[in-house]
Amino acid sequence: MLEINNVSKIFPGQRKGLFGQAEGFKALDDVSLRVTRGKSFGLVGESGSGKTTLTRCILKLETLTSGNILYEGADIARLAPAEMRRLRARLQIVFQDPYASLDPRMTIHDIVAEPLVIHRDIVPMTSRQRTERVLELLLQVGLRAEHLFRYPHEFSGGQRQRIGIARALAVKPEFLILDEPTSALDVSVQADVLNLLHRLQEELGLTYFFISHDLGVIRYICDDVAVIYRGKLVESGPVADIFERPTNEYTRMLLNAMPDPDPDRSPFRTVASV
Amino acid sequence: MTLLDIKNLNLSMRSFEGETQILHGIDLKVERGEIWGMVGETGSGKSLTGLSVSRLIPPATGRYLAGSIEFEGRDVLKAGEKEMRALRGRKIGMIFQDPTTNLNPVFRIGTQLVDVALHAGHADPTVLGLEPGASSRDLKKAAKRVAVEMLDKVGIPKAAERIHDYPHQFSGGMRQRVLIAMAMIGKPDLLIADEPTTALDVSVQAQILKLIHDLVAERNIGVLMITHNLGVVAQICSHVAVMYRGRILERGLVTDVLKKPSHVYTQALLNSIPTAHTKRGELRGLGGVMPEVQ
Repeated sequence: MLEINNVSKIFPGQRKGLFGQAEGFKALDDVSLRVTRGKSFGLVGESGSGKTTLTRCILKLETLTSGNILYEGADIARLAPAEMRRLRARLQIVFQDPYASLDPRMTIHDIVAEPLVIHRDIVPMTSRQRTERVLELLLQVGLRAEHLFRYPHEFSGGQRQRIGIARALAVKPEFLILDEPTSALDVSVQADVLNLLHRLQEELGLTYFFISHDLGVIRYICDDVAVIYRGKLVESGPVADIFERPTNEYTRMLLNAMPDPDPDRSPFRTVASV
Repeated sequence: MTLLDIKNLNLSMRSFEGETQILHGIDLKVERGEIWGMVGETGSGKSLTGLSVSRLIPPATGRYLAGSIEFEGRDVLKAGEKEMRALRGRKIGMIFQDPTTNLNPVFRIGTQLVDVALHAGHADPTVLGLEPGASSRDLKKAAKRVAVEMLDKVGIPKAAERIHDYPHQFSGGMRQRVLIAMAMIGKPDLLIADEPTTALDVSVQAQILKLIHDLVAERNIGVLMITHNLGVVAQICSHVAVMYRGRILERGLVTDVLKKPSHVYTQALLNSIPTAHTKRGELRGLGGVMPEVQ
């Protein structure tokens, strides 16, 4: 469904004098990967590894230095602006921070309805139909009708993330980019949001591109996984393979650094006062 | 003597909507050499318990209804502000969650470390390796030396040079190390770490945990570690207290509580962590709102 072929992105360095330029920063270095329809693809990496740059490239918010990104065979770099707009309706994103990604001065209704207004040429609706759709979405993500005209500050982190998911689903996309959707949440709330995402995927046949630095979450929700380090893809494959038999040194290090909730597997236990 | 002894702590906070009781009778004892993990969801009162120990709850909004917090036998709730200033950063070290907002962006790392060292040095020159009554010139010199030493100790390469950098030139993990260095300058006996690794990558988190662990092993201090990550607790803590709506539901050795949780809430919390064996759709959340517990 999504094909990323040898993508590189170099951010130009600072200008030096009139003609000189410092060396650029290679944010993505020859990245290739494939996302299958109806599956969840996980992208793992630490901060600064290029995860977000890659999603920005998929959404065409960055221009590629080299390589191409094909969405259902069409090169997104060559799409005309009008075509890109149509594509954006099918390709939605849920952001990391539910506290920063909802406009505090808009009601939940207006927030969730906004994509419907923006893409009104694709999904023509009267304002009454829009309100009905918003209501349907809120129920779908586990919120209630009485939440419709409230403001974001009245909701908890988990509820806000549900609103973010409802907004992303408004125009009935087929592909959802989830940029660390649970990293700002408590584990107990994270579990609910992950289950919601899993249920929605089964009901709506969505394809997920799931970005996270939490390997436990990736293992739980994803079918395939790619590990990115300093802009380079170090390893990719089915989740079971990567987690059980990592071949790359960096992947192994990441897996080892994952704090295990079993106290017997702590590297420090032997020295601690007990 | 017990290092930290919190007895029946009751705290209420005022807001526009009125006064709400946040902590309902917290009891906790921390001895030297122990790393206590305080776990709980957002709003369970774990941070406010930590802040109470160094008495950083704003007096305008917070009110202690009952209880005491004894640090080495002295009740900090009854201590004067002057006495508290001598304790904070000196006997009680603190590390907070976000290393980006806790360093001043317009001052060099070194300046900020030296400030802390001077503050500790004025109260007790022996911290900087000086005789009591040392001159302020000696203090300044020693403060600079200690700042470099501590930065080096927390694993910042080329500490003597990096001390002239500004916070933005440091990565998140390095900034957190600077904060730990800052907390350790006064050679505290008790370290309060409020979510010290939450903002960091797992690999950096592992390094920071090792650093805290080594400090305990080396200096025999007590640590109160506030976190919502049970994995972190399992790795580093010797004891754990599970908090819920301002109460401690369960406490004990990490090996007991995490392996054989006796309270349903602890069990539920453990069940919400995805592990290698959790099948998709089987994860149990807690519904997002904290249910009432008897």
